[in-house]
Amino acid sequence: MIKRLEINYRGIFQKNLGKYIGSDIVLIASSEGKVAFSNGRYSDAPERNGIPCKYFAFVSPDLSEEELEAECGAKMDIDEADVSVVLDDSMSKGVEPWGWHGIRPINEKVREKGCMLVVSERKHAELVKFFAKKPYDYRLATLKGAASLAGLWVFKDDLTRERVLGAIAAVDPGIISIEAVEKYLLKKTGDQKRAKAAREAYDATLRNIERVTPKDGIDWPHKIPVLPKWHEFQEGGVVVPAVKRGFKMGPRGQNRNEMFKRGTSKTERPVVRFDLCIKCTLCWLDCPDECFDPTDDGLYDIHYEFCTGCHKCAQVCPVPECIVMVDEMKFDNEKSPWEMHAKDPKAYVKWAEDKKGKERVFYPQVTGTGREIREGETVPAKVAK
Amino acid sequence: MKVAKEVKEKKEVWEREELLTGCQAVSHAVRLADVDVIAAYPIRPYTEVMDMLSRLIADGELDAEYLIADSEHSQFEIVKHASSVGARAFGGSSGTGWMYGMEALVVTATDRLPTLFLVGNRALDDPGAFGVEHNDAMSVRDFGWLLSWSTTAQEALEHVLIMYRVAEDKRVLMPAALAMDGAFLTHSQHIVKLPTQEAVKKFLPPYDLGGRRLHPDNPVSIAPQVNEDWVIELRRQNWEAARRAKGVIEEAYQEFNAVFGPRYENPWFTEFETDDADVVLIGLGTVAMPARTAVRRLRQQGEKVGYVNLRWFRPFPSQELRDCLGRFKAVGIIDRDFAHGSPDSGGILCHDIRSCLYPLEKRPHVFNIITGLGGRDVSIEECIKMYNIGLDAAAGKVKDELVTWIGLRE
Repeated sequence: MIKRLEINYRGIFQKNLGKYIGSDIVLIASSEGKVAFSNGRYSDAPERNGIPCKYFAFVSPDLSEEELEAECGAKMDIDEADVSVVLDDSMSKGVEPWGWHGIRPINEKVREKGCMLVVSERKHAELVKFFAKKPYDYRLATLKGAASLAGLWVFKDDLTRERVLGAIAAVDPGIISIEAVEKYLLKKTGDQKRAKAAREAYDATLRNIERVTPKDGIDWPHKIPVLPKWHEFQEGGVVVPAVKRGFKMGPRGQNRNEMFKRGTSKTERPVVRFDLCIKCTLCWLDCPDECFDPTDDGLYDIHYEFCTGCHKCAQVCPVPECIVMVDEMKFDNEKSPWEMHAKDPKAYVKWAEDKKGKERVFYPQVTGTGREIREGETVPAKVAK
Repeated sequence: MKVAKEVKEKKEVWEREELLTGCQAVSHAVRLADVDVIAAYPIRPYTEVMDMLSRLIADGELDAEYLIADSEHSQFEIVKHASSVGARAFGGSSGTGWMYGMEALVVTATDRLPTLFLVGNRALDDPGAFGVEHNDAMSVRDFGWLLSWSTTAQEALEHVLIMYRVAEDKRVLMPAALAMDGAFLTHSQHIVKLPTQEAVKKFLPPYDLGGRRLHPDNPVSIAPQVNEDWVIELRRQNWEAARRAKGVIEEAYQEFNAVFGPRYENPWFTEFETDDADVVLIGLGTVAMPARTAVRRLRQQGEKVGYVNLRWFRPFPSQELRDCLGRFKAVGIIDRDFAHGSPDSGGILCHDIRSCLYPLEKRPHVFNIITGLGGRDVSIEECIKMYNIGLDAAAGKVKDELVTWIGLRE
């Protein structure tokens, strides 16, 4: 028997976290006399800020190491997962790991009776509404907490690692048992609080597992591209036709590459207070992904499907509170914000402030200290009464 | 030759177990080999070996000069020159990086300097891809290199030691490249047994270049310009060294088994379920994993199939492979490489094995599989497909073409 576990993580920001959890599972399962190993897909390879990546861990109580490797070792992805861990709940909206892969459902690999384990503050229904419908029952568990984000060279030691291990033991003790997790953490670190964090997460997760049925979720709206056969595409290496030249003023005015939208890389999206905009052009100029479309009234609309949530526009905007990054999970569509603003400016300000909320979240990634939350300022609307 | 099996498993030579990637396992072997000079330049997927080595040096576990080069060409030159002054030197690369330093790689062989390089196999550009393909490492096959593939992290660790010993042997003095499949081996994490420093010292003697060592006390010039007066004799010497290397390799495995316990029965390749087999596949690297599982499944259905996991590609074990593969009705050669424009448009491994089998009076039917290029997964089902080609051939239904491509979109 083989237990397959995947760890969905945010490229760069959760690279170390993902890898450490994979390593821990191998060592813990081995301490229980099982055979295990771990590898990664896109880990270290084309990994970019925020891009959805995967680590894997494989555990077997009865196969030899060679047999386990033969079954699982030389593959880039798995066919099905007993447990699919999601280290950042905004990946619930779909994952597009690489060009020509399409936006895929986060629960694509979870098997019948398997379990999705999502690190999230949200209620299950708020996650499931983004999942694709599956033809069978599976389980969903959440581990309460915010996504733990750090940097390439740093690891944020905030006990997420230990808590996820405890939660995995709760959703599938066949992979690792909570006793073995505790023993391993104590032996490795001598730190009681780490074992305690795992145990508490285990207890909390046990109370937090729900069944997801074939009725739950959505019909997946994104097309998964079918790649051409060897004789079906132009010879001479992979030649990507340039995006057809074309530009008009207004939302969606620029032609873009529909084959790789990159929008699933974001954990946050920029919300713009158009009424505060001084038309300085900096957001449009500095956006690395050219997400901003100039409009006839001198403003800049955002095409969210192409936004990677990189924070650049919010950083360069000279007007306080004009562009603010907001949790991606607060949105359920990619509609043009400028159109909302043009239709009813006052209602738009209310909508924008409602999305922005009171908290402003910062990620000092260089220091690896992770999330910092500061109080936001409410700037009154500058729209005609 | 078969290495004696009577040596017993020895617990005392293993110091501890650690969870390591393939690259990290090689770093630990480099530490244990007490390498003096390391030259680094990054390229995926081999890079992690250098990450880990810099950490081992920073942590005080290894005392070595660590130089960061400005390109692979400089990197390989540093390794070569370090070796010529008597330092045990280590380098490595992948894909196009390996090719970029080719000039240095060629002269390292003709200067007979026993350096060791890790090649984390990667497809050659274009397109830029990170996945495994063997054409990169195989590019040195004709230049006087020792070249072997490892299939597990443990095997890679042990082969760093074995290859240094063989390369530095006075009868050999050839550079060595240890190849491992990018991603599938370089990046998977496994529990690896680390030997004690003492045991390694017992197996791997200090590097001694003798009278050729560049040193103020031993003023010599290496490789001055010569022309038709010298070259063909030098080539003949290189060949002789490669011939002697075969005996030295066998000795090295015997000694390895004596020090570390019975690790290797046959230095050149490992046979799996071949005793009564009619059809075998042979390949290099991690394709052994799905292939051996396919063997297990087909055996359950009563099919007489086996797998030969080739370890040494240079020097090529000609007679050993003749003796082994001559026993079967059909032999399928798996190439994770391609030789464009070559005879019957086969792969490099196929050409070598097919030509090696030619002197046999009774030759097995040979077929060639091109698969897994650029890191494409090779599945168990696809391996079963390969075996079926062989089983058909063994039953008289021979395909017209030598080569079958498997796992491409067609």
